[in-house]
Amino acid sequence: MSARGNILARVRRVTGGGDKVAVAARLGHHQPGGAPVPAMAQIDGPNRVKQFIDKAEAADATVSRIASLEDLPAALAEELRSRNLPAAIRTGHDPAFVQDWGTVEHSVGVGRLDEPATLTRAEFGMAETGTLLLASGADNPVTLNFLGETHFVVLEAKDITAGFEDMWAAWRKRGLDPRTVNLVTGPSRSADIGQTLQLGAHGPISLHVFVVG
Amino acid sequence: MSALRPTTPRFKQNVREALANENIQAAMRNYGSGFVNKRAAARAAMAEFDDIRDAARDLKNHTLANLDLYLARYEAEVLEAGGHVHWAETAEDARRIVLEICRDAGATTVNKGKTMISEECGINDWLEENGIRPVETDLGEYIIQLRGETPSHIIAPAVHVTVPEVDELFREKHAHLDAGRRLDHASMLSEARAVLREKYFQAEVGITGANMLIAETGQSVIVTNEGNGDLSQSLPKVHIVMASLEKVVPTLEDAATVLRVLARSATGQEMSVYTTFSAGPKRDTDPDGPEEYHVVLLDNGRTNMLGTEFQEMLRCIRCGACMNHCPVYQAVGGHAYGWVYPGPMGAVLTPSLIGVETGGQLPNASTFCGRCEAVCPMRIPLPKMMRHWREREFEKRLTPSAARWGLAFWRALAARPGLYRMATRMGAFGLRLMAMGKGRLAKLPMGGGWTDHRDFPAPQGGTFQSRWKAMGGRRR
Repeated sequence: MSARGNILARVRRVTGGGDKVAVAARLGHHQPGGAPVPAMAQIDGPNRVKQFIDKAEAADATVSRIASLEDLPAALAEELRSRNLPAAIRTGHDPAFVQDWGTVEHSVGVGRLDEPATLTRAEFGMAETGTLLLASGADNPVTLNFLGETHFVVLEAKDITAGFEDMWAAWRKRGLDPRTVNLVTGPSRSADIGQTLQLGAHGPISLHVFVVG
Repeated sequence: MSALRPTTPRFKQNVREALANENIQAAMRNYGSGFVNKRAAARAAMAEFDDIRDAARDLKNHTLANLDLYLARYEAEVLEAGGHVHWAETAEDARRIVLEICRDAGATTVNKGKTMISEECGINDWLEENGIRPVETDLGEYIIQLRGETPSHIIAPAVHVTVPEVDELFREKHAHLDAGRRLDHASMLSEARAVLREKYFQAEVGITGANMLIAETGQSVIVTNEGNGDLSQSLPKVHIVMASLEKVVPTLEDAATVLRVLARSATGQEMSVYTTFSAGPKRDTDPDGPEEYHVVLLDNGRTNMLGTEFQEMLRCIRCGACMNHCPVYQAVGGHAYGWVYPGPMGAVLTPSLIGVETGGQLPNASTFCGRCEAVCPMRIPLPKMMRHWREREFEKRLTPSAARWGLAFWRALAARPGLYRMATRMGAFGLRLMAMGKGRLAKLPMGGGWTDHRDFPAPQGGTFQSRWKAMGGRRR
């Protein structure tokens, strides 16, 4: 018999074939299995955006707010200037980035070896932990999330959910099927040298979020 | 040590060497209580934490009770997304499968995100023997690969390495850089970052592990802080996921339950920096990502744990909290354990996976203080299972004869309460006399294993039984 057959036969000897009804219910209705939802994942109203920002900053991200997407080029130019970064940005084809970028040199494509600053759009934010949900694709290539030394992210305030429960529900509703979903909480870090935490291991050294609206 | 040549049978010798090794002792002093305090703070910051641990335990029990159904659904979803699932009964099967995929991809270099399953299968040595260069990209894994070692901790693989040792190592291995450069924590990190950044673009295959496999969506999930696992899977043309089959969870909501306890238990973070869900190869219109996606689903003895007293070990999510809180691990570090998994979880898992004949020493490396069970996010009764292994070791007559005689002697005494009371009274009296009023004994006949390292406290007052009686303790 095949490895698959042998393994599943050994499992079935113990499960007796399992409880098909219970399994179908769990898979079909996404029952959380009675797990409690923490209070920090149930924040509503204006406090939700505030908690998202607080938690993201606690995870060493920086956050600024802009009124609308039209304000993005100016806000980005200012951030690049204040961080002493070249006036250049790399993005995917996301419609949010079809803009007049003014003095900032805008290039479109995947991440490269040497990439000072990248910009991608988050599908959702999660106030529970200050986490971004980024979906890969031509609009937002996955390598842009990791190869930029400074990673800028645009997030609509209306896409900030309270916690995992409402984020997964909203995510399913959006009906996307990307190869990769990245949940990102702060910039990359490591404590592997002398157990001293340092930012900027292999991914971005800095993460900045523009909350729109 | 390699996965293929465990040194667990010489565990006692390993311990003696670790205790005498100044670098390990310095690193373990530095390891100290950082993880412990961070976990405690994270737990305190979420009132529901212990209730979510219960839910996480229940979700894994439910999944294990229906493992065949969830694995079948998971496999179907991976295939639907255009990926491949390779079932591996043994580590040897997994090695063969990985090599075939690498050869088909024409690989000369393989980048690796952190994966304990690959350690369990001895993938690095195997690839090298077959002319393929594995490059570990997790910073800690990179350091120990340069040192020719294996991880000493499941989430902090280089925890046994001191900063001066890293300094020396980088000067030796990064010989193309200026020999006179100054290295501190920050510059060592940026140096490793620069060296590895180039390697990301050279590999034809990337191997990662999986913290979870989601049956509902066919996604594999990795949880990291560095981002190396993401570069390792996004840049090469082939992505191989090495996962053991008990990693499957039913839905995204169930994954959230695990995530809520995982990072808090591991590093005290509310969320690790990167939690990445991968499904299949890149989509047709994607400009980046792997063209092929393979999952190697490893059994290697796990299905034989189902239905036994060790089944609960399959709930383990590899957070490392048990070793962070273990007084034995804190004293000797991970390498002394002699195989892939150290600490309390390793002491239970190792005999299950490589046999009690080889790994049976490890369950003895416990004072049964119970901290491992107290902090385990999945509420795995680790001390109970170590006791089961001790029983099996005894039954198989693998226990050293001195210990067997000692147990037989104790049993003979304990079965005769009158004699036992008399003997303990005399023992307590004798020890008190020997202490000559100092309350401590610096030397003890046949007790050198204790007194070589610390004084033995002399008994004060009567025996436990006599005091129990004097305090009006109930007798059954």
